[in-house]
Amino acid sequence: MRFFAALLLLLMSTAAPVAAEDGARLFAPCRACHSLDASEKELPGPNLAGIVGRKIGGDTAFDYSPALRKARDEGLRWDAQRLESFLADPAEMFPGLWMSMRGIEDAAERQSLVRFLAEPSSR
Amino acid sequence: MNRRQFLSSTAAGMLAAPALLRGAFAQEGPFRVKYYPVAAGMGSRDVTPAPDGTIWFCGQRNGTLGRLDPRDGSFKLVDLGKGAAPHGVIIGPDGAPWVTEGGQNAIARVDPGDHKVTLFRLPEKEAYANLNTAVFDKSGIYWFTGQSGIYGRLDPKSGDITVFKAPRGRGTYGMTITPKGDVWYASLAGNHIAKIDLATGNATVVEPPTPKQGARRVWSDSSGRIWVSEWNSGNVSMHDPADGSWKAWKLPGENPRTYAVYVDDKDKVWLTDFSANAIVRFDPLTEKFNAFPSDMPGANVRQMDGRPGETWGGESGTNRLVVIQTVTPA
Repeated sequence: MRFFAALLLLLMSTAAPVAAEDGARLFAPCRACHSLDASEKELPGPNLAGIVGRKIGGDTAFDYSPALRKARDEGLRWDAQRLESFLADPAEMFPGLWMSMRGIEDAAERQSLVRFLAEPSSR
Repeated sequence: MNRRQFLSSTAAGMLAAPALLRGAFAQEGPFRVKYYPVAAGMGSRDVTPAPDGTIWFCGQRNGTLGRLDPRDGSFKLVDLGKGAAPHGVIIGPDGAPWVTEGGQNAIARVDPGDHKVTLFRLPEKEAYANLNTAVFDKSGIYWFTGQSGIYGRLDPKSGDITVFKAPRGRGTYGMTITPKGDVWYASLAGNHIAKIDLATGNATVVEPPTPKQGARRVWSDSSGRIWVSEWNSGNVSMHDPADGSWKAWKLPGENPRTYAVYVDDKDKVWLTDFSANAIVRFDPLTEKFNAFPSDMPGANVRQMDGRPGETWGGESGTNRLVVIQTVTPA
């Protein structure tokens, strides 16, 4: 029993840094168009600072595709669960989306990326 | 490293006949528009005509390279590997399709005979290049862009890859080669175009006159003038390197979003406008536009290529290919 507790502690102590590293790695390709620095504007994609909790299409300085404008007009918001589903296949959730990317198949990777986006402390 | 897999070559695929036939009229019209459905959910995007009459196309969402036979609408899909997300495809001097395969951070060559896939992986330190578009230069070197802010060269004979940092960082996107052999790229996030010195690999930035224009793609015409699709401004612009001049034209309609540009063999300029959900033809002689709206919403044609009399694109949002044929009057 003591062995399993020690193993669990070991796993917990190593899991967090690995997840943070994964989040940063997974976000690297996104940086071509997006920033998490709220002051960084006028990129090809919307600013993602504070994305979790805000309205879909919520960067007021950005001209979104009709698919995301419609979601915004319907009052939809990004929460962690919706963001994770979105990352699995963005065009499946919002057909006609202007952004083009292959979804992330691995659920653990999606969760790492969502955590990275949601929690500044994880970066 | 090498993989081969045919995913689809079914009789059902043969039923994928042109979905629509309709006419549009312009100076050299009429034009005929045809649609070819491909695999659901594949995100059919960049295209290129093959020497044998078929059309290669990238399935960014399902990691495949497709091959359409326009004679009967049938298509095959080649699996490019685990996690593949192909962006662009061009035909090499060897007649094979070469793919900027962003998912595996590699350049992929697909043998046109047996569809064997050969990967040329980027160096480990360039792990997140976001591979985008490519051209072959006149000596057979493959030049490519990566939207994370790199461009590079691959020697197909040795497999050697050299990666260069783009002078202004992220945004490196479309690429073209002029008839003289000069290679240019566009930087979407960097709002410029640049010419690469093929000997040194250095890039020289050229600023379009419209600030923050979002230069996304470039294509050379027959005299080496560089045509630019400007995503942010909604313009098509033209740079003449011979005298350093620029001209720009706003696409018609409200808030145009110019994504793709392609110049055909008659030096007519083809563009896509995401706001209008249309392919747009621009005649530089008359300075007139013709729009060919898709018959389905959210078509999102992200790149075009063609051959005499035919302009091709991939409707990434509808999983179809589209061709506009210039019909020769009887």
